[in-house]
Amino acid sequence: MRFHLIDRIDSWQPHRHITARKVTSVHEGHWQQTPDGPRLAFGLMLEALCQAGTWLIMLSTEHRKRAALLTVREAIASGPVRPGDTLRIEAVVVSRSEEAAVIDGTVTCEGRTVLEANGIMCALIDAEELDDPADTARMASRLLGTKAAA
Amino acid sequence: MNTPADTAPLPLPASTTETAGQVRIRYHPRFDRPVRLGPGEEATAVRNIPNTLDVFATHFPRKPVLPGVLLLESMAALAALVCEEHDTFAPASWRLSGVRGVGFRHFIGPGDQVEIRVRRTGHRGRSADFSASARVDDRIVATARTLTMTTGEAT
Repeated sequence: MRFHLIDRIDSWQPHRHITARKVTSVHEGHWQQTPDGPRLAFGLMLEALCQAGTWLIMLSTEHRKRAALLTVREAIASGPVRPGDTLRIEAVVVSRSEEAAVIDGTVTCEGRTVLEANGIMCALIDAEELDDPADTARMASRLLGTKAAA
Repeated sequence: MNTPADTAPLPLPASTTETAGQVRIRYHPRFDRPVRLGPGEEATAVRNIPNTLDVFATHFPRKPVLPGVLLLESMAALAALVCEEHDTFAPASWRLSGVRGVGFRHFIGPGDQVEIRVRRTGHRGRSADFSASARVDDRIVATARTLTMTTGEAT
């Protein structure tokens, strides 16, 4: 699977706050098959929130830094996400330093909260160690709906 | 838990269980070695991390790292087996619904063999709590103080 769990960035404030979206589809291959039908795995909801957080870090640092997950104090799921649902993801930076940031956040789906998490601590690492900065810039432009950077 | 498509197992024969002393050995297609269940409400399994996993194309292009949340879901898959061994709810209905005190200490990448251990620490109705750890070459790479597993439609 392509491990890109953010499809749009709707708003963001540097080092403070981001809202983003992920649409889901029956054509994705990662559904849990349960007796009551397919549902999105807990881990992928949590990952969507973490990826929103890492996009906030990248946008806030002009793509120089990104987040690597260190700890999760608590994350609780509270309802199913089914194929066709749209996830609305909100992440807030509650503290940060040069080396790390702590994020809280929620994932909602059709008006229901499906995941709440707090105390997501991430190490801030050099983004170019993980991906080509030009590719990151192109992806950022797509997510933001802006023209691609040179 | 059914793993994401990139890590989904081949459709191997249905799992079987053997008994060796107090330890039950269960062959299960979601893990790469026979799962050891018990004694008590514990389980141990091995997940190999081959370079061929599709997820490494995007996570990350310059440094392949297994996403920590996929390791969490592997812990949950093992915990679900323990639940299925001890409870009468429908098989495959147990899923991860909450975590507390999760820590990732080292990256997991291609070539690693991850030994996963879970232990049930509490149980009430349709919910069960587990502690979990993962190690590579005798080094702890991740721990979870509490994984909460749930069955049923409620959550």
